Amino acid sequence: MIQIVTGDSRPLFRQIVDGLTRKILSGELPPGSRLPSVRGLAMELTINPNTVARAYTELTSEGLIESRHGVGVFVCEPRQRLSGEERERRLEEALQRFLGAVAPLGFAPEEILDRLRHELSTYRSATKERP
Amino acid sequence: MTLIATRTAPSPALLPAAGPEPVIETIGLTKRFGPKLALNQLTLAVPRGGIHAVVGSNGAGKSTLFRLLLGVATPSLGQCRVLGVDSGRLDPATRGRIGLVTEEHTLPGWMTVARLAAMQRSLYPSWSEATFREVAGHFHLHSGQKVSQLSRGERAGFTVALALAQGPELLILDEPTLGLDVVAKQAVLESLLFAGRREDRTLLYCSHQMDEIERLADGLIVLERGELVSHSTPESFWGRIGCWVVAGLVPPEVVVEAIPGLLQRRVVDGREQLVVLDPDPDFGRCLERLGVPGATPLPIGFDRAVNAFLTRNHLSPDGAVAAPRSH
Repeated sequence: MIQIVTGDSRPLFRQIVDGLTRKILSGELPPGSRLPSVRGLAMELTINPNTVARAYTELTSEGLIESRHGVGVFVCEPRQRLSGEERERRLEEALQRFLGAVAPLGFAPEEILDRLRHELSTYRSATKERP
Repeated sequence: MTLIATRTAPSPALLPAAGPEPVIETIGLTKRFGPKLALNQLTLAVPRGGIHAVVGSNGAGKSTLFRLLLGVATPSLGQCRVLGVDSGRLDPATRGRIGLVTEEHTLPGWMTVARLAAMQRSLYPSWSEATFREVAGHFHLHSGQKVSQLSRGERAGFTVALALAQGPELLILDEPTLGLDVVAKQAVLESLLFAGRREDRTLLYCSHQMDEIERLADGLIVLERGELVSHSTPESFWGRIGCWVVAGLVPPEVVVEAIPGLLQRRVVDGREQLVVLDPDPDFGRCLERLGVPGATPLPIGFDRAVNAFLTRNHLSPDGAVAAPRSH
């Protein structure tokens, strides 16, 4: 389903959130797809089920997945979930985080932009469907 | 130890959800071996349920704490209660609700897997055959095998299977994966997470393997030189440790002892990294004032953060930080 690594600078639950968000926005996990149960994914990754539960809670509050009681966890239909202002704020926040991590590495701006463009192109649905 | 303000305050996230009484409760617990304080005024409350990892460098007091909890050592001072009972006066019934797994995995070699399991089954009223089968299955144990014929990994698995099947309310594990290969280690972790971890069972787990702790632990107990440094979620301890990258090296005229909370210096690709405990929100400016310009924060992993904390005393016993190691 997804890969996690210990020793990463992101906590395991964040890696799960990032990994699943990517798969959902890229269309690899289309709306209606069923996700593993909390216990199922915890077993697959050999991690504490609380960590998976926490990631699922965050993905649910982001409107990306929903839990249907007694049936399972599913990917939601895409919709405009955030106000323009909120999207702007989040973009700014993410950019600052990104810059803080990337600036010290000393890559040329063009190199960084090329990589970013390449990565963004894998998020077809994310970049296409937003107004 | 004065730089750590919150060392005895457990994070709110760890306060017991169910049962009001902690499974382990120590108050001012002190153990002295001659002039050496193995444990110094340890006040700790471990709530029921979940996996609580205990970390600390050798000699931090982990083994002493376990021995006191099990009642095989007597406190020099202070109190130690386990499952509501003074650990020095554990009756056989209460003792039966506490399990222990050590790295040695000592079992009688001449007995077969089936014979030993049958013996344990008759001794423990709370024995769970389903749990035993589940865990034994992870290790492909066969009932006719003699313990002496088992590999180290299989013996570890058998020990864990027996300990979990006994249905303990508190299970103490002293480096259960030490010396195991990747496959056996994985099977032990799976057993602890999915057969072992229950709302009404507390696992107290001691290890030097930060990757395991990152996967397993609900709570993290940090000991240093016999004192409790922190008891919180692993993530909130991790969050207290930050790393800054300097533009080059820290100039030699800078008094590094003046850098507050400095745990570790390391040079990576010609640039010095400073790992710091409880950094000021404006730490970059703080460094600038001390003569270290242009430092930027660098996120680091759980293992690096916790190890930087645990190994700082090896750099220098007086709390001063030695010159950086090249990497």
